[in-house]
Formats: sequence, C-alpha cells, structure tokens
Amino acid sequence: MSRAASLAVMVACAAALIPAGPAVAQSGGERVTIPRDTTYGCVACHADKRTAFIMGVHAERGIKCHDCHGGDPAATVLPAAHRGRFVGKPDKVAIVALCGSCHADPNRMRQYGLPTGQLAEFRTSQHGRLLLGQHDLNAPTCTDCHDAHTILRPDDARSNTHPTNIPATCARCHEDAAMMGKYHLPTDQFARFRRSAHGIALFDEQNFAAPSCVGCHGTHSALPPTVTEIANVCGRCHVLVSQSFDAGPHAQAARDGKIAGCLGCHSNHDTERVPAEHIAATCAKCHAPGTRAHTLGVDIQRDVVQATLDLRAAEEAITRLTRAGRQTGDAQFRYRTALTAYLEIAQVQHDLDVTRLEELTRRVRSISRDLRDMAEVAEEHRWEHKLYLVPVWFLALAAVALALLTLRGLERRKTGS
Amino acid sequence: MARIWQTAREWLSQFWADLKASTDAGLLAVPRFLGLLYGPIDTRLPIDQAWRKALAHRLPPHVGWRHALGGIAYLLFILLVVTGVLLAVHYRPSVSEAYPSVQHIVSGVTLGWLMRDLHVWAANFVVIATLAHMARVFIDAAHKPPRETTWLAGILLFFVVLAFGATGYLLPWDQWAYWAVTEALNVLAAVPLVGGPLTSLVRGDPIVSGATLSRFFAVHVIVLPWAAFALLMFHFTVIRRHGIAAPKYGPVPAGPGRRFFPNHLLRSLIVGVLVCAVAISAAALWPRPLGDPADPARLPEAMRSTWIAVDVSRALAHYVGPWGFAAFSLLGLGLALMPLFDRGPERQLRRRPVVAALGALFFVGFLAAWLAGRQLGSTLPQPAPRRAVPAEAPPVEAPATADTTAARDSAR
Repeated sequence: MSRAASLAVMVACAAALIPAGPAVAQSGGERVTIPRDTTYGCVACHADKRTAFIMGVHAERGIKCHDCHGGDPAATVLPAAHRGRFVGKPDKVAIVALCGSCHADPNRMRQYGLPTGQLAEFRTSQHGRLLLGQHDLNAPTCTDCHDAHTILRPDDARSNTHPTNIPATCARCHEDAAMMGKYHLPTDQFARFRRSAHGIALFDEQNFAAPSCVGCHGTHSALPPTVTEIANVCGRCHVLVSQSFDAGPHAQAARDGKIAGCLGCHSNHDTERVPAEHIAATCAKCHAPGTRAHTLGVDIQRDVVQATLDLRAAEEAITRLTRAGRQTGDAQFRYRTALTAYLEIAQVQHDLDVTRLEELTRRVRSISRDLRDMAEVAEEHRWEHKLYLVPVWFLALAAVALALLTLRGLERRKTGS
Repeated sequence: MARIWQTAREWLSQFWADLKASTDAGLLAVPRFLGLLYGPIDTRLPIDQAWRKALAHRLPPHVGWRHALGGIAYLLFILLVVTGVLLAVHYRPSVSEAYPSVQHIVSGVTLGWLMRDLHVWAANFVVIATLAHMARVFIDAAHKPPRETTWLAGILLFFVVLAFGATGYLLPWDQWAYWAVTEALNVLAAVPLVGGPLTSLVRGDPIVSGATLSRFFAVHVIVLPWAAFALLMFHFTVIRRHGIAAPKYGPVPAGPGRRFFPNHLLRSLIVGVLVCAVAISAAALWPRPLGDPADPARLPEAMRSTWIAVDVSRALAHYVGPWGFAAFSLLGLGLALMPLFDRGPERQLRRRPVVAALGALFFVGFLAAWLAGRQLGSTLPQPAPRRAVPAEAPPVEAPATADTTAARDSAR
C-alpha cells in the first residue's frame, strides 16, 4: 500500500472513530463552541496543534491553519495538502512579517480595536534591531512571547502577556546567564523586581496597574530608558512627584544628564523608597557633609523621620481606641487627613521646599497628638472602672460577714436548744 | 407634735413586726401585707402553703460547701441571662450593624462595658463551674442508680453551655471572633462523616457570613435559652425527687439535717455574693478588648481567644488533628453515657480503675488542651481550602512558561 493510500485509510478510520461533536474553547471567560470540521485536512496529521490553537483568540475569530501556513486544507493527503502557497514552519524573521501582515494593517485591525503599531515598534526595539538587523536568532520574535498557537488575550490569566506573567515571560531569556553573557547584561532583574515596591504591588496585592517590565521598557519597543528619559518614564505614573521634581534644582541636572533622573537616589529594578533615616546619607553621595545642600538634606530627614513616627503613633492610637471599644469613625477621618499630609511630604521632598515640608510635618504631628489624647482618655475611662471594685467588695464582704454571723447565731441557737 | 411622733412610732413598730413575720417561712407575708390581690389568689391557689413546704425542706447533714458548685453554675447562668437580656436590648445582629452596636454598648451605654465584660467572664466561669461540678459528681459516683437521669440532664446542660459560648463568640463580629469561628468550623468540617453536612448547616454559606451570624444569634437567644430552661427544670426536679447522694464513706449521718431556709440559703448567699464579686472584678480588671471589624478578605495579625472552648478545640485540632479532636469528643461522649454501663454499687474510685482512668484522661486532657490553646494565642488561622476547579471546565493546557510567581519563588 502506498504512503498516500495508508494516510487516506488512517484519516477514514479516524473520522469514523472520533465523534464529530463540537470542541469547546474557553478564552477570556467566554465559552466558544467550535464545530469539529472533519473535512479540514490539516487536522488529519496536526491534531495536537488544533488542540492548542482552539484555546486561543485566533480560533474565536475564525482564523484557520492555512491563513498562516498556506497549503490546501481541502486535501487530506500529502503532497496535495502542502501544495500552493505553503509556508510550513516559518523562521523567526518570517514570523515577524507574517504576524505584521495582519496586525500592521489598520483595515483588518480596526474592527477589533487593536493598535497596528506593533511591527513598527518592534523594529525600534533592541529585540527587533538584533533579529531584523543582525539576524541574531537569540532575539525573540512574536511567537516567543505570545506563543505560536495558543495565543491568549492579555487579560487571560493563562496568557504569557498577562500582567502577572510578563516578568516570567521576560525572565525566560533575561535570567539565562549563558545567553545574557553574550550581551553583557545582568540576570538578576527579575529577583530584584520581585522584591521591589512594584513587584509587591503586582504579585502580592494583585494590583494590575502596577508596572511590570513593559511598564517602563515598553512592550514591542522594548529598550532601557536613557539617562535623560528616566524621570519622564517614572513620571508617567508618579505624576505629582514628577511635577515636584521638575520644580526642584535636580531637574536641570537630570536634563543635562549629570544625574540619572530618579535613579540618582532610587534604584531601577529594586525601586525602593529611600528610608527616612537614610535621606541625609543619600544626599551625602553627591553633596559633601557640611555643605548647604547636605544640611538641607539633614533638615528634610529630621522632618520626615518625625512625621513617620507621628503617623505610626496615630495608627497605634486608633488601634488602642478600637481595642477599648470606642467608635473610631472620627479618628479614622482625622487619620486620613494626616495620611494625606504625610503622602504630600513624600512629594514635597522632591522639590526641596522645606517651608512646605515643615508645615505638613506640623499638621501630621498635630493630628497625631489629638488621636493620642483621644486614646489616653479612653484608657483613663477604662482604668476608672476599677474604682467600682471598692464599693463592690465592701458590700460583698459586708454581706458575707453578716451572713456568717447570722449562720453562727443560728447554729448556736440550734446547739443550745 | 407628740401625737405625730406617737403615730409614727406605732406605724414603724407595726411595719417592723410585719417585716419580721415576713422573714419566717411565710415569706409572702410581705406581698400579703402590701397588696389586697394576693389574698383571694392564695385562697384558690395555696401558694403560701407550697412556699412554706419548699422553705421547710431539710438537706442531709453531709451536704457541705463542695456541694455549692452546682449552685454556682446556676447563679452564673442567671447572671448570663440578665446581662444577655440587657445586651440584646442594644445589640443588632447584622453584618453591618453588629460591630458598631457592640462599640455602642461598650462606649455609649451606661454601664454597658460592665454588661458585656460580665457576660464574657460569666461565660468562662460557667464552664469552669460546670466542669468542677461534674468532676465532683464523678468522683463521688453520685451518678449511680437511681440518679442516672440527673447526670444525663447535667451532661446535656453542659453541652448547652458550650453551645451558648460557641454561638455567642461570633456575635461581636470582630476579626478575632470571625476567624476563630472560621477555624472552629473548618475543624468541624474535617470531622469524618458528619463534619461536612453539619458545617454547611451551621454556616449557611460557603464562608462565615451574615447567614451564619443570623443563625448563631437565633440559636443563642431563642433556641438555647429554652433548651437550658427545660433541662434545668428537669435537673432540679429529679434532684428533689431522688435527693442528694449519700456520702461515699461511712453510714448516712443521722439527724434532721440542715434547714433550707434560712441556713442553706444563707450559705448560698455567701457563695453567690463572692461569685458575683469575683466576676465583676474580672470584668473591671481584664476587659475583653474588641478587635478590628470582621473582614473575610484579610487574616488578622494575631488570633486571640477569650473563651475556653475555643482554646480547647484549637489546641486539639492543632496538636492531634481532626481525628484526635473526634476521639476526644467521643471520650467525652463516653463519659457522658457512663451511667449506662457503670451501674454497680461500688462508688470508690480506686475500685473502678477504668472509669477513673478515662475520667482523669478527659479532665486532665481538657485542662492541658486549654492551657496549650492559650499558648497558641498568636498563631494565625488557616483560610478555608480553595474549591477544586469544577469538573466540567475544559482542561487547561497552560504553557510551561505561564507559571505564577509563587511557583517560581517556591522553586528557588
């Protein structure tokens, strides 16, 4: 029996054995029923690819194997099935063009509301420059991040491009020491990001508004920001801090490239706050102790440390009020005011406006003192409850003594009689 | 003037004579003296006669101070009823109002703090008093025939007391209450066979919620009080019918015994006054703090239990697991049903080694579990296990790279 005849028999047997029921795909919370088309020739050999493909968004939109791979889906035998415009498995560079043939076409993407700039962006990225410019096959192509067949929406938690999965997607290459060694790149970015404020917000608090890798580096146009761009990148989210920074003396230095914007004091992937106790030490990295600028840093540190302590004291006061069973609505409202002032301190530090800083610190301190007073009054009232024990025990012991005396008298009377 | 003084003296001496007359067995002389209604009623219903008969009752001579334990438990129960009614006046059993209403009781109602803390402490003392009373009866073998029903009614009362505490613990609706009940129900759910259905019935929702609060409140203030009232009446009736058990050693002392009034009541008064004073002192010295409002989405920073049964069940669940918890409960149930198999005339403990060992195991185990539970005070509870993915969901062939960060972290 020839190879083509064997294949035809196998297809016939498969068609007879496999029930022609609908396949069910679930994507983005929607259940999509895709009828099993037994006349579609590609699945005769590539059934595993179909299983992966129907989970993705392309299957929902009616796109089929031959739309990307070419060939003749009406044929169920080789070589007829691979005849015509057959692409087969495209290489990395061809994949970019293949995806771009639809995704860079506004007339096709308009109906889905999808942007069409990914291909142009990719060309500007370091990945695109390496792949398209230098044919460096270590660089990723579209399917390396989006998968070839199981292409899911970014809001699908299973997707490689879901916010919580993006760092792991990037880390597949960027944690590979052998690969990164060729480009002299570090491999600890993911670990540092994971423990950063952004990482905690994204992973622990599931705050999808927190930036993952693409929040700062861009998605398809992935590149590290340049020194003069850093303040703008951070300022996209930290708007108020950015405005303060621009109003302060450090902004010009950043524009001139003398300091790396926000990274002058904060780190990039770690993105840690400068602890209040370390503000002066951070200033001392550039400004020698004793200089006017360093003295200003010491003053700022003093105010911020004090405000931090006052805010913690206010929180403790509210806990004490809660434990004492007091209604804390008013206290919570006042605490919110103090917290707003405290957050504004974090903003004002960036333009070095000490007058405003001291005003905010005083406001936090004043509210904190009020809350502590409220807590002390509540505890004082609680302590006063102990004074009730004096009359209680006096009356109790008097009653017991009286009862004992009466009992003794009754016993004596009984003995006497 | 002298005439007025003379009239006042006569009136006072008459009042004093009537008052003195009212302190004899005819205590109802006071209402008789004060009102006209009592006379006609008394002629038809011989209340005075019944009252005199009750007060003239005599107790056996061997009844001593150690027999006061049951009375102490009863007094604490009355204290709980009184403070509970006062609390129910101000408490509102809904998810949004329960916590603020407790805050209002503590800080806005006159002596509300005393009502609440007295209720909390009396709830603890009543468990101790009931256990001590049961231990006394167990050691004296006072449950032997014909007093089996007295013992069984007492055991049911003990369970009612535990149920009172379990249902009342949730009512403040703070974090400690919420998560302690969540953990206790998780333990209950792990009990083989009956645990799951029973937990669903009690909880009324997949998690502890408003449905649970309503159920607990209804059981706490309607079902259990009636059950306790009926059991108490039965308990007292059979005590009166069978009398106090004879002393374990030696013959029954001869003599007419101690009069119920005034001798025994005076002794009860002494005990009762001291118990109330101790409960008020505990309430004033160690008030039960209020946690943060219950939040099903957030675990508390630390657990804090203020009720003995919670400590005991947490310690058992933590150290011996659900099976150990079930085995200990079965041991308690076995002791409860002891009169059914320990029916011999022998009352001395040393000649009943098996029963003595089982009893000691239960009482010592209960005490040890309580102390161990106190040590677990800062252990965080575990949230309820997540439900599995429904069977009808399509198989998810997640790409190998779609692992979560938690998986990555655990692999490191």
